[in-house]
Amino acid sequence: MKLFQRLAAVLLCLISAVISGCDQNQPPQQQSSKPAASAPVSLAIVAGSENSALEPLLQQFAREQKIGVSVKYMGSVDISLELAKGKASQFDAVWPASSLWLSLGDKQGVIKNAKSVMRSPVVFALKKSIAQKLGWDKKDVTVMEILDAVEKEHLRFAMTSATQSNSGTSAFLAFLTAFAGGPEVLTAEHLSNPQTAEKIKRFLRSVNRSSGSSGWLKDMLLKDYLYFDGMVNYEAMVIEFNRSLPPGQEPLFAIYPVDGTSIADSPFGFIAKGDAAKEAAFAKLQDYLLSPAAQDSIQAQGRRTGLVGMEAADPAKSAAFNPDWGINLSRILTPIRIPAAPVVSEALNLYQTAFRKPSLTAYVLDYSGSMAGNGVDQLRKAMRTLLDQRIAKEYLLQASPEDMTIVVPFNSMVMNSFQAQGNDPQVLGDLLAKVEALEPGGGTNMYVATAEAMKMIKSQAESGKYHASVIVMSDGMSESGLPQFNAMLQGTGLGKDVPVFTILFGDAKPEQMKALAEAMSGRMFDGRVDVVQAFREAKGYN
Amino acid sequence: MQKFLGLIILLAVAAAAAFFMFGKEKVASLSGSTPKGELITVTGRAGSEKINFLQSNKVQQLLAGQGLKIAVKKSGSVEMVQEAASDDDFLWPASQINVESYKLNGEKVGTIQQSADIFNSPIVLYSWDIVTDALIKAGIVQHKEGVNYIVDLPKLLTLIKDKKQWKEIGLTQLYGSMIIRTTDPAKSNSGNMFAALAANTINNGDVVTVDTVGGVLPQVKDLYARLGYMEASSSDLFDKFLQQGVGAYPMIVGYENQLVEYSLQHKEYLPLLKSKVRILYPAPTVWASHPFIALNDKGKKLLAALKTPEIQKLAWEEHGFRSGLMGVENDLSVLEVVGLPKSIDAVMPMPSAAVMDKITKQLSSF
Repeated sequence: MKLFQRLAAVLLCLISAVISGCDQNQPPQQQSSKPAASAPVSLAIVAGSENSALEPLLQQFAREQKIGVSVKYMGSVDISLELAKGKASQFDAVWPASSLWLSLGDKQGVIKNAKSVMRSPVVFALKKSIAQKLGWDKKDVTVMEILDAVEKEHLRFAMTSATQSNSGTSAFLAFLTAFAGGPEVLTAEHLSNPQTAEKIKRFLRSVNRSSGSSGWLKDMLLKDYLYFDGMVNYEAMVIEFNRSLPPGQEPLFAIYPVDGTSIADSPFGFIAKGDAAKEAAFAKLQDYLLSPAAQDSIQAQGRRTGLVGMEAADPAKSAAFNPDWGINLSRILTPIRIPAAPVVSEALNLYQTAFRKPSLTAYVLDYSGSMAGNGVDQLRKAMRTLLDQRIAKEYLLQASPEDMTIVVPFNSMVMNSFQAQGNDPQVLGDLLAKVEALEPGGGTNMYVATAEAMKMIKSQAESGKYHASVIVMSDGMSESGLPQFNAMLQGTGLGKDVPVFTILFGDAKPEQMKALAEAMSGRMFDGRVDVVQAFREAKGYN
Repeated sequence: MQKFLGLIILLAVAAAAAFFMFGKEKVASLSGSTPKGELITVTGRAGSEKINFLQSNKVQQLLAGQGLKIAVKKSGSVEMVQEAASDDDFLWPASQINVESYKLNGEKVGTIQQSADIFNSPIVLYSWDIVTDALIKAGIVQHKEGVNYIVDLPKLLTLIKDKKQWKEIGLTQLYGSMIIRTTDPAKSNSGNMFAALAANTINNGDVVTVDTVGGVLPQVKDLYARLGYMEASSSDLFDKFLQQGVGAYPMIVGYENQLVEYSLQHKEYLPLLKSKVRILYPAPTVWASHPFIALNDKGKKLLAALKTPEIQKLAWEEHGFRSGLMGVENDLSVLEVVGLPKSIDAVMPMPSAAVMDKITKQLSSF
């Protein structure tokens, strides 16, 4: 039997040799010498959102190999929390944006055979005309020069949250290192230096829009390109952005700060729980992703691949890396050194509680009659997650002393409104108690409550001191509609500076929720399966 | 009949192809020389640098020929002797120090039934063309008979200690200060052995002892404190070195065999590796002798198998491990990768296990 299997393998290889050339180093005979799994294997993967563009590759693999592949996209912090569960994780494989999250999350050592699938530097990308005006298309740019230009030229740019998305974390750590005077590596002492803190605060407070996802940030910028001058994001996202621009629009130009660049290395690793069939399936998928064909296809999408150096091995295949967009593959990139894990954790806590631009968040919450029972229970749990600072800290969502929190419960009209300033656990606890004491009843009109909330925060939002946003949760069909909402805002001067995020719950109409979010430069989150998770995600955007 | 004729021809072609593709050993097993019956599964841990070797088809075939099947877990050499479990039949760390440290720890999961050095692999630095050229100009590296030797490691360590920038040795393309990146010395042997080499070097080339180690520790510690996050395994560090290039990883510590093995597994990259990547041999360097620890009879069987000439030859020709056995010659001409010396003559002993324990503890507190 074994003999037959080996011969069959050789035959197979011969046939494929005719088509594509037979590589002795590929182990076809290894595959056939292992007993075929009797039950179909499936792999559940948890991945960073920036990998979603590569999902067709995974699906192709699944079809060809008859291996089930499912992917759940999560933010980096959630991925590392998932890894911290060790063998209790529901996933078989992990694919975050950076190995940083493996080292922070994998405390039980369950990750095996992690290998980098592709690389992408995190860059500061600006409209090309601005980059040229600053002379940045012709010289090395430092982080300090970026801070000066941002402040003097009042550049409007977007960057993801350092505690929710890897591109934000990477840029934050890189800029922090530069502001600390460019030490070889950031240490706890640097974090407590007031001058460093002052500079990173100035930089973060000049960010105009935040987000919990790098892919979404890029899409938002495409939609509202008029309002922005640039973004901090992966080089790959800048490439995708420029490729999606309508003709005639000026492209973004990528700047690689000499003292503040970082590289996302996208490791793909197995979560070892003792299942040999899954491990074999994982190995196949990893080999596939690292195969020349898949690597070429990944590179065509603007990610750097190839085994030796950051230059594309084959220039013929590097069309995505357009030098007109500032993307120069032969530039030597010196990324900052990733600090030791405890320093990263402390830096992220400081980002959340001291460095970042404060947030001004208005929660517009549905307390209509249909919320009675499970609905109101879930809502209370979600608000507890955000307002109870011990829980919030676990998700790196804790408030800062300068944050403003507003709650506007509604049914067919505004029921009440509560405010809390800062991050005193007592104050936020009192606010939570008020929210938890509310009882549902009556009809549903989210538009009137949302417009009211926007008017309440208008003057503070316009100060520019906050990332201001409104988070609307509703569980049913609303009376009136978007035209009435727009009419209510007429003459207030309120626009896209205050994005509206919506959370779909219960029997809410996705069309209504989506239209409201998109009209107001926000995003809809589906909370029908897990409303707590949806609230966390929405909060991660400001 | 015609159908059968076709099949016979196809089988003949296949057999011939098998001969050319897999070599004689495999044809031997194709024709049924593998012993019948169940293979004995031997379970244990090995350092990342030996995982490709142990998992290669050819090694598995040769082991199967001796009735053995191997179930190996990748584990840092420093960690494995602390974390060994009762179902381990063997431990295969990279350095004799790891064996000593297992003994110091009281041989927790089983007494050593037998142990022997299997390979001899020098600790090397990997670097890039432009960095090496600058180091040659600075008099730190000397190019002799096709091999790059670090002849002035004390000077290199001093420049690093003084936070000299790359541009100060004429390397204007590189931003930042000079650095050698290593694996985490508390987990992985290559980072650990380089700490020993650095300690000896700072100690004026004398092996550090319990009495002298205290004087050099601050400088060794400083060297490592500036590295930030360190990889737990030498193979991960080597992959990152190659993929992220000279800007991110100008110089790393590794084993000599890594480049040999890599270039054989990625032949399409051989020209690029030859033109860009350099192996630098500290003179003197320290040996990783890859001692195999057998914890029971199954482990002893595997130990015996690893010492057979076929496996030793394969280890050199396809994975770049010099033989650790007396009297075995390693033929350089079979390797395509350049820059390897025929023999390694300048070798310095490692400090004692007790001294290494002190060094490791100091470097674990980041």
